[in-house]
Amino acid sequence: MARLELTAAPSMPALFAKAAVTARGRGGDLPDTRLTRTGVQVDAADLAAYARVCGFPLADTLPPTYPHMLTFPLQLALMSDRSFPLALPGMVHVRNRVDALRPVRAGEVLDLEVWAERFARHRSGATVDLCASVSTGGAEVWRSRSTYLARGARAPEGAPEADLAVEVADLARPVATWRVPDDAGRRYARVSGDVNPIHLSALTAKAFGFKRAIAHGMWVKARALAALSGRLPEAMTVDVVFRKPLFLPSTVQLATAQVDGGWDLAVRNATSGADHLLGTVRPR
Amino acid sequence: MAPQTRKAAIVGGNRIPFARSNSAYAQASNQDMLTATLDGLVARFGLQGQQVGEVVAGAVLKHSRDFNLTREAVLGSRLSAATPAYGVQQACGTGLEAAILVANKIALGQLESGIAGGVDTTSDAPLAVGDDLRRVLISLAGARTLQQRLKALAGIRPGQLVPEMPRNAEPRTGLSMGEHAAITATEWEIGREEQDELAARSHQNLAAAYDRGFFDDLVTPYLGLTRDESLRPDSTVEKLATLEPVFGTGGPDATMTAGNSTPLSDGASAVLVASDEWAAERGLPVLAHLVDAQTAAVDYVHGGEGLLMAPVYAVPVLLARNGLALQDFDFYEIHEAFASTVLSTMKAWEDPAFCKDRLGLDAPLGAIDRPKLNVNGSSLAAGHPFAATGGRIVATLAKTLHEAGPGKRGLISVCAAGGQGVVAVLES
Repeated sequence: MARLELTAAPSMPALFAKAAVTARGRGGDLPDTRLTRTGVQVDAADLAAYARVCGFPLADTLPPTYPHMLTFPLQLALMSDRSFPLALPGMVHVRNRVDALRPVRAGEVLDLEVWAERFARHRSGATVDLCASVSTGGAEVWRSRSTYLARGARAPEGAPEADLAVEVADLARPVATWRVPDDAGRRYARVSGDVNPIHLSALTAKAFGFKRAIAHGMWVKARALAALSGRLPEAMTVDVVFRKPLFLPSTVQLATAQVDGGWDLAVRNATSGADHLLGTVRPR
Repeated sequence: MAPQTRKAAIVGGNRIPFARSNSAYAQASNQDMLTATLDGLVARFGLQGQQVGEVVAGAVLKHSRDFNLTREAVLGSRLSAATPAYGVQQACGTGLEAAILVANKIALGQLESGIAGGVDTTSDAPLAVGDDLRRVLISLAGARTLQQRLKALAGIRPGQLVPEMPRNAEPRTGLSMGEHAAITATEWEIGREEQDELAARSHQNLAAAYDRGFFDDLVTPYLGLTRDESLRPDSTVEKLATLEPVFGTGGPDATMTAGNSTPLSDGASAVLVASDEWAAERGLPVLAHLVDAQTAAVDYVHGGEGLLMAPVYAVPVLLARNGLALQDFDFYEIHEAFASTVLSTMKAWEDPAFCKDRLGLDAPLGAIDRPKLNVNGSSLAAGHPFAATGGRIVATLAKTLHEAGPGKRGLISVCAAGGQGVVAVLES
């Protein structure tokens, strides 16, 4: 296993460009490289901008999804590298699990590590998990697992079946309606640096086969958790699957139910009723 | 049912350090700060998921979207969502008035517990479009035909596009609060040096209180701040004397500087008020009781009284009702809107002619023992996020009285814009 430490967050527009021009001819197995950064501190202005876009109150503890802002650039660096077997353009985020082991204060000095694992078969392609671990003083405080689907790709011989099952209660009653504006993708791109063209405009999304721009899955997840501010366990696992793309603009509804000291959630299209996100929050 | 009244207990308080305008809390909204302050109080007193009787809090500078600010903060906090809430606004008297309202319902047996608070930001302040542009936009929204829309749009002038900032000025006089205070300072012949002395004392007292851990269970750090940002522990009269006057500079002897006036600030505070029984059931302390309170208002526009002099009128009413003399207190908390305001207030109480003619008293209220005044610092050092000041003072005084032992008495006096004053008595 190779461990490579980056001294700064990589430039994400450059990584997206690199991933696009090197998309062809990829294959093989997952790299066993781990990318790390040490001594990372959250920028107060970045945190405030993120909180505003996602609807979190500005507090001294990080929103449970915030560490993803720090680890995603490293994951992107891993995926855009030529050694990564799948082409980034067209890959979609289909599942995200966050283990918030304890509240993380905004001033804590964090060490990050990301890697890829679980190359798996899926009926329409292959999935891969991009994992992240955040620790402070050697103790892990947060970890996540983002599952991406590459349509048409093939997992290696003997790979397991992808696991995209998150069971939720019957969530019949919507509790909130959100109008998601057509610039929601651009706004989240600005604070997250995730400038994947499928989120930015109808035109750039069409180039990748989407009829309109789609919302970032992690924004939908963050927005749903923000709606539960003050009602979330201190330490928790938040596991969600992203189903139908949330085309921009859209009106969506959040449905929640209290389950096992946590929550089951659904974000659905207000008109069609299609599921955009299904998920569970459980104390740990 | 004849109400059997009881005295409401001050159980404790929580606030975030107060920040200077456009500084540490520049990105924080009123709702963010109030929610963080409530959550700090919840954590301190183990109220997670619990319902308190009512949360009452206000903001002076408030965005129209925050019409239900206090309830929204409760819903975003760790309090039970079944906790009712409402807002109040009485300018700088907001926080103290909120505490009085909660305490009165507890006194009447309508509540067993409640939280009183306040929040203000001068950084994330609501901008408004000017009145002319506002009217154009309203008629545009109501226009049904293209012709009507064009006609409405034709009303727009480039000069209207500059937004209106909320100003710290009285609508009826056009004068800022500092200019009003400067007029009063001149009338009462308040000197520069005594103002600077009061300001230096405020900084030294607040710094000493922080140093001995007095605020450890009253303040929760927020966004990197652990102490009030305006606090200058090394403040001295000599340093303050070097500052140029900023108010009343039209006259010959301007005395009011940025050093002896409160800075614009951002922050929030909250106080937990309860019946003795409620506190006892939870094993929580009773720091002090709110004994009584009084408001007053003066005609500062046409009546020849100073804008910030209303507490001078409220206090004798409160004293008379409780059979107390001004000297019957162990501690005095006179809100330092400006050093000159505190000094004018005390001078007025000592003035036989003023007390007779304006207050209708046979004898002046007399002097107060200065070492008992603002012993743990006040607004000149802490800053003054308008609606948050009352909660800061109530919690600070309640703890001060509790530390001094049972049977101690404290007086709170807060002046407010619009020529109003709110005063109260606490007792340990």
